Amino acid sequence: MTGLARRLGRSGAVRTLGPFVPVVALWWLLAQLQVFPPAFFVGPDAVLAELGGLLERGILPGYLSDSLTRLWYGVLFGLGIGLPLGFLVGMSPVARRLTWPLLLFFQAVADIAWLPIVIVWFGFSLTAVTFVIVYTIVFPLVLSIVAGIEQVPPELVRAARSMGAGRIQVFTEVIVPGSLPSVASGVRTGLGYGWRALVAAEIIVGTSGIGFMMFDARRVGDVAEVFLGMIVLGILWYALDALLLAPFEHATVERWGLVRQSAAT
Amino acid sequence: MTARRSTPTRAVAWFLAPFAALLVVWAAVVAATGVPLRIFPQVTDVVAALVSMTASGELFVHVAASLRRVLIGSVLAIVTALPFGVALGASPRLSAFFAPLLRFSVALAGIAWIPIATLWLGYGDGAVIFIVWNAMFFALTYNTLLGVRRIPLPLLRAARSMGTGRVRMFWEILLPGALPSVVTGLRVGLGYGWRGLVAAEIIATSAGLGYALFLAQKTFSTDVIIASMVIIGVLWLVMDRLLLAPLERRTVQRWGMTAARP
Amino acid sequence: MDAVRALQIENLHKTYVDAYSGDEVVAIGDVSFDVAEGEFVSVLGPSGCGKTTVLNIVAGFVEQTSGSVTVAGKPVSGPGPDRGVVFQNHALFPWKTVQGNVTFGLRMRGVAKAEREATAAEYLRLVGLTGFEQRYPHELSGGMQQRLGVARVLANEPAVMLMDEPFASIDAQTRRRLQEDLTRIFQEQRPTVFFVTHDVDEAVFLSDRVVVLSGRPSSVHEIVTVDLPRPRDWRTTGELPQFRALRNRITDLLAGDESHAVADPA
Ligand SMILES: Nc1ncnc2c1ncn2[C@@H]1O[C@H](COP(=O)(O)OP(=O)(O)OP(=O)(O)O)[C@@H](O)[C@H]1O
Ligand SMILES: [Mg+2]
Repeated sequence: MTGLARRLGRSGAVRTLGPFVPVVALWWLLAQLQVFPPAFFVGPDAVLAELGGLLERGILPGYLSDSLTRLWYGVLFGLGIGLPLGFLVGMSPVARRLTWPLLLFFQAVADIAWLPIVIVWFGFSLTAVTFVIVYTIVFPLVLSIVAGIEQVPPELVRAARSMGAGRIQVFTEVIVPGSLPSVASGVRTGLGYGWRALVAAEIIVGTSGIGFMMFDARRVGDVAEVFLGMIVLGILWYALDALLLAPFEHATVERWGLVRQSAAT
Repeated sequence: MTARRSTPTRAVAWFLAPFAALLVVWAAVVAATGVPLRIFPQVTDVVAALVSMTASGELFVHVAASLRRVLIGSVLAIVTALPFGVALGASPRLSAFFAPLLRFSVALAGIAWIPIATLWLGYGDGAVIFIVWNAMFFALTYNTLLGVRRIPLPLLRAARSMGTGRVRMFWEILLPGALPSVVTGLRVGLGYGWRGLVAAEIIATSAGLGYALFLAQKTFSTDVIIASMVIIGVLWLVMDRLLLAPLERRTVQRWGMTAARP
Repeated sequence: MDAVRALQIENLHKTYVDAYSGDEVVAIGDVSFDVAEGEFVSVLGPSGCGKTTVLNIVAGFVEQTSGSVTVAGKPVSGPGPDRGVVFQNHALFPWKTVQGNVTFGLRMRGVAKAEREATAAEYLRLVGLTGFEQRYPHELSGGMQQRLGVARVLANEPAVMLMDEPFASIDAQTRRRLQEDLTRIFQEQRPTVFFVTHDVDEAVFLSDRVVVLSGRPSSVHEIVTVDLPRPRDWRTTGELPQFRALRNRITDLLAGDESHAVADPA
């Protein structure tokens, strides 16, 4: 390996984005050779053209900001409710025992199944979509926090107690950091579900947003726009992941270190 | 405090008590406020809806349709994702290449494919099964890959130093070694798949629990909506308790390997 | 030593290249020694001098930069069942029972079931694990796990048995008992053993010869022959004046090297 190649191989951006290059090339080739009928499958060039068109008419930015607004409210309320609720339930053995079965059940009622009744209550509105996203985020989060608190070794609590920590200090110094990895994975699971709920709600409620855009395009058979919608969703999640989730998890979960030495194979 | 294992009846009672309390509160609130049925049903309405759906055979048709789709979709996903995930995980080069692609795909998997799936396969069973498969496939592949990469190096070396061939390596080392992570992948994937199923059924079919919800919403039959939601929740709990939990108990826990939490 | 050479290491040298910084680390300078068939040889040396690296090269997990390793006359390439490895943290398969772990290597070589079971029973008896066949590794104590690690390798009847600080993570009492078990097993089976350790007492107690490596870049400082009578046990062997003399000599060799290493920043 030359010095340059080695340095490039080590850069995070290249390692992350590199694999997409051959995939896009393959995609382009498949479309060029018309392996699938063009009514079902278009190449990256058609998608780019579509992107240009939608940007020009201001449709994509509008839908994008609608989707992001819903997601933002959903996440804000979801975390605002889920985090305190999780720690409240987790800290009290009685509360844990009484609510655990209900939590499991409400988690099991797939969030999307709430959409019809929510539409009955709130109509086809931002409130309806936000409700479903909040719901999807709260339950996995609470379940993860409770599980995380249970996993904090009791010796750690005892050690802190014996060193003179009070109840609140035990909570802030031991319970919170000890359960953090689990909280992080709960946030990730919750956002993953919330994200899907957003798309489903937009398709079903059908007034605006990326999900709506895709389904609307599907109705008129505009494959390029459907593809574009999927790519936008993927990139959005990637950005959310890279900017928000990954740094948080990096500071907690990944410190355990699962990287294997390269020479050691 | 964990519930004592020696008294299963007490554990069941503890599990059911909160539901009983919830039903009482629900009945009381609806009775006191007198909300109309088109906004929220009384407990008895939901029970009546369940009874009539059962009597008419409608319930059975919807449940059977949904379960059949989940079963086919998840079997396809397991059969395709496990070999692929293990193959990727076993090779550092392949996993370095595919990991970012997979992360991208996991984010998209399931519901976001509904428009394209219905375009490719038309409205109906094919599209729904595709969504279930798709929702599980990426999560399962990604977690399997991670699971294989997390097998401690000395275990791989021990196997290799005893002359383990490729096929044996897959069945006896890589697959069981990755199992804690595979179980996580199954949980997450089935969760996505189940949600994808409901969404796809609302949008793309004429049978199944999602479709039942969709029909009831059109006529503001909140009793049927809530009844269907209860069925969806119970079915998920049953799948989790009857399939995933025993799998976990018999393997990961029995072997003293802690399952990676979702 | 005019017996057959089970393991021969000649002018072994290893340089690691750090995958990220590109720095080079000399793990082994120039190491040569050999182990006769049925001989127990220990390798001692300051921490980081490359003991594990030598063992990994012999096992075929790591490739040397230069030099040669031959086992029973054949040059080593990649891991193989002719060299059995006992790992420090046991490396037992958690998803296999005790029986499954012991018979693993035999199954990989296609040995018939009846023969596998007979062999497994024999080696489990040898390490005192009869009756635990259906347990899983996590249900065993640390000492039992390591005895299983030894049985798993012995059952495979390798030309050389490689052990990298197998008892390092076990409490002092149990460690002594395992050392006694190991010399008893060695006495009964006469495997060829290449044993890496930090513990001077352990090396003297178990070995026929002790290879003392110098600090980095490492080379063979001295090979000490241990002609203590067998069978050995801690009560009698440990009290022998010969044992103490050997132990003190090796300790001095290691200490001298360490002070030397500090003075000379190589
Ligand atoms: N995979 C690797 N990549 C780079 N350097 C390595 C690698 N493995 C070992 N080294 C370096 O090689 C040297 C020798 O390591 P080795 O593990 O063989 O020493 P050791 O004698 O077994 O040490 P200890 O007694 O502490 O177990 C050390 O300086 C170590 O940092
Ligand atoms: Mg070492």
